[in-house]
Amino acid sequence: MSLSRLRSVVRCDVVKAFASSSAVTKLFRPCGEVTSACSTQRRNVTQHNTKPDWNRAVSEAEKIVGYPTSFLSLRWVLSDEIANVALHLRKLVGSNHPLLKTAKNLIYNGKNNMQAWGLIVLLVSKAAGHSPEIPDMEQDKAAGVLHSQRALAEVTEMIRTSHLVHKGLVNMNSRQLTAGEPDDMMFGNKIALLSGDYLLANSCSELANLRNQELVELMSSAVRDLAEAEFLGERDEQNNPLPSRPVPEASWEPASDWDCILDPLPMGGVQGCLRREWVARHVLAAGALLGKSCSAALKLAGHNSELQTQGYLFGCHLALAWQAFLDLEAFTGPEPASFSLVGAPMAFTLQAKPELYKYIEAGRRSVQDIDYHALYRAVVEGTGIAHTQQLQRQHVDAARHVLHRFPVGDARAALANIIGAMRHDL
Amino acid sequence: MACLSSSRLCARVQDKLMCQFGHKVRRQTVFVKLKPPGPSPLRLFGKTCQRVTTCGPACGTGVHANTGSARRLASSLQSTSTGSLPDYGTQIVDPYRLLEDDLNGIYEDIRTELQKNTNQAELNTIATYYFDGQGKALRPMVAILMARAVNYHVYGENSALLPSQRQVAMISEMIHSASLIHDDVIDQSDFRRGKPSVNVLWNHKKVAMAGDFILAVASMMIARLRSDDVTLVLSQVVTDLVQGEFMQLGSKETENERFAHYLTKTYRKTASLIANSVKAVALLSGADAGACEVAFQYGRNLGLAFQLVDDLLDFVSSAQAMGKPTAADLKLGLATAPVLFACEKYPELNPMIMRRFQESGDVEKAFELVHKSRGLEQTRFLARKHGAEAARLAAEFADSPYQKGLAVTADLVLNRIK
Repeated sequence: MSLSRLRSVVRCDVVKAFASSSAVTKLFRPCGEVTSACSTQRRNVTQHNTKPDWNRAVSEAEKIVGYPTSFLSLRWVLSDEIANVALHLRKLVGSNHPLLKTAKNLIYNGKNNMQAWGLIVLLVSKAAGHSPEIPDMEQDKAAGVLHSQRALAEVTEMIRTSHLVHKGLVNMNSRQLTAGEPDDMMFGNKIALLSGDYLLANSCSELANLRNQELVELMSSAVRDLAEAEFLGERDEQNNPLPSRPVPEASWEPASDWDCILDPLPMGGVQGCLRREWVARHVLAAGALLGKSCSAALKLAGHNSELQTQGYLFGCHLALAWQAFLDLEAFTGPEPASFSLVGAPMAFTLQAKPELYKYIEAGRRSVQDIDYHALYRAVVEGTGIAHTQQLQRQHVDAARHVLHRFPVGDARAALANIIGAMRHDL
Repeated sequence: MACLSSSRLCARVQDKLMCQFGHKVRRQTVFVKLKPPGPSPLRLFGKTCQRVTTCGPACGTGVHANTGSARRLASSLQSTSTGSLPDYGTQIVDPYRLLEDDLNGIYEDIRTELQKNTNQAELNTIATYYFDGQGKALRPMVAILMARAVNYHVYGENSALLPSQRQVAMISEMIHSASLIHDDVIDQSDFRRGKPSVNVLWNHKKVAMAGDFILAVASMMIARLRSDDVTLVLSQVVTDLVQGEFMQLGSKETENERFAHYLTKTYRKTASLIANSVKAVALLSGADAGACEVAFQYGRNLGLAFQLVDDLLDFVSSAQAMGKPTAADLKLGLATAPVLFACEKYPELNPMIMRRFQESGDVEKAFELVHKSRGLEQTRFLARKHGAEAARLAAEFADSPYQKGLAVTADLVLNRIK
């Protein structure tokens, strides 16, 4: 399969597509159809409970593709470097370096667990099936996926984890350090940087072992996208993201086209349009990796480039739907102490009431200086939540639309379950 | 004897010939000398660097073993016994001048490649910061030199540099810079290459991300070469770099273990990049497995010599008022070759090594003991041995200006003063 074929087909201007929501709803069929197609499997899973349960959807899905994909497998526990890191992590206990929190989240994963990423790659692999030309040796017959796809799923998780770990570095430049603290923080940074590099280096060699250079290029571009995500828009001194200042719709620049997913995401027309900014931010930070991984899984199975593109869109939409779902979470229960300032509800609210931007500006030094209560009230009283739900539905529908391309089967049903579980009853 | 045991460790595979002229080398004292004419001296990898004890198969035996061994012997002896630029037959080859056209614009090309891959202005600024053309471009130079030498070896006089080989030269510099950027955050260094280091100027998270970005772009470039073997060889570099960095966090209890640990770390942190990138260019030229292995061993020996000299300069350059911080490695808690050698004579260094020179006065005391011992001399000897081995391996390729350049490069690395 030539690179030019990949290049020529992809014209997924996600930024543009979601700038005009009507186009999306027209393009994609309502979600009801897909759900009914896989209702039998779904009923088994959800009958004891009226609303779909996330954890159950995930653990049912894990059974479908064999053992869970977590990279915390025995191989890793036995590795020298990881043992080394664990040893050093213990020294950090008692300090408040964010690496500890990242490590904890890796082990006790809740709703936003990252293992689910590798799982989705495996489910997509199984749902799509593979070309009959692939020799038996390369297949995991019991699970219905290829060994190479399993390796790819592991790479996806490693890249994501590496990114989260590097994101957790403390900026030592701006920090007002209290006595005794700098050593801990410096040491924590060192370990975080090295652990992230270790994961990245492992992804490099795992990818190289797949002996598919188009795949290496695609996945490397996902690493690049993750790095780019950390530079998008305004930041406080700890690099926490802030939304950019909203500008009225009349002065938005046209969104630029994006012809090839190997090219970096264009930023034309993003500035000041907070909905586009939300899409761009989360395509870079999440959608690119999941989308490119799904696309790569289909490439490994010998599917044509058109389906590979659909795989990319599936992962991308799923990641965005997921993100919108997480953004909404802060507004489902009691008022939280803080919430994401670059979440979709906040973006819609700010765009509608630009005068609220003064609260954001208060957080230029640190997001901790922000009056979250005032912003929370504004979001709850405005239409931001309703808009976010609508946005999430669009992405869910788009993802389901792709799912429909795959033959009916347990993996497809499990993916539909996972998508179905991303719903809040507000 | 430290000298004996260490040379056994790293020169296990080297043949008698090597040992013989090893003795000659030891006798001569002038090592850190004024820079040779031509390119200015090099200092690239800060204090750090990588696997040595496993020297691999006996270097070079078997490949063209019967051609010109007498001449090689002569020239090797000459190069080591004079301690200065030897007379390589008729002309003195300056590799930088030889490759002027190939190296010209290499930093611009890297910057363009990075710029093409991001729409974030600040990311572009940080990522291109060290590609300002101020570096000595040792890695790209060695890669291109080897590429041309191997091409000449395989295809004869009319061979040209392949675009893919030049790409590998760029990639080697990019991987190197990505590791420098992460090193800067880890070591909190203030200056590099005569300007403030990245971690002083920018947010540390962004700096870490910029390092990841450079690596990602480099690995996209590798993938575009569409060679499975080259990708495997270069992905090994990244793994080695990280493993070397992890090795640097720990140390070993016993002296023998410690020296082996140091050499392995030196291989992984410095030599692997050079060795594997010259191997990659050899693979791209279509050379046979034997020639690729000679290229690899050349790079490995050159890299080891380079880092040993680096570790040595960390002790002596201050004495010569070079205007750089003294004993930077000691201050980072690292015991490099000179300290490990000095340990033989002054066992009181052992507890200091174990506590990573953290108690007050440790750094000064260790510095003094190293100078009182023969540690510097022994390090110099070891570096020289690896340099001589690199020159010997270079002679296995067909005679050409580039092949001579490889030998000269080994000398440049040994004779650099900063």
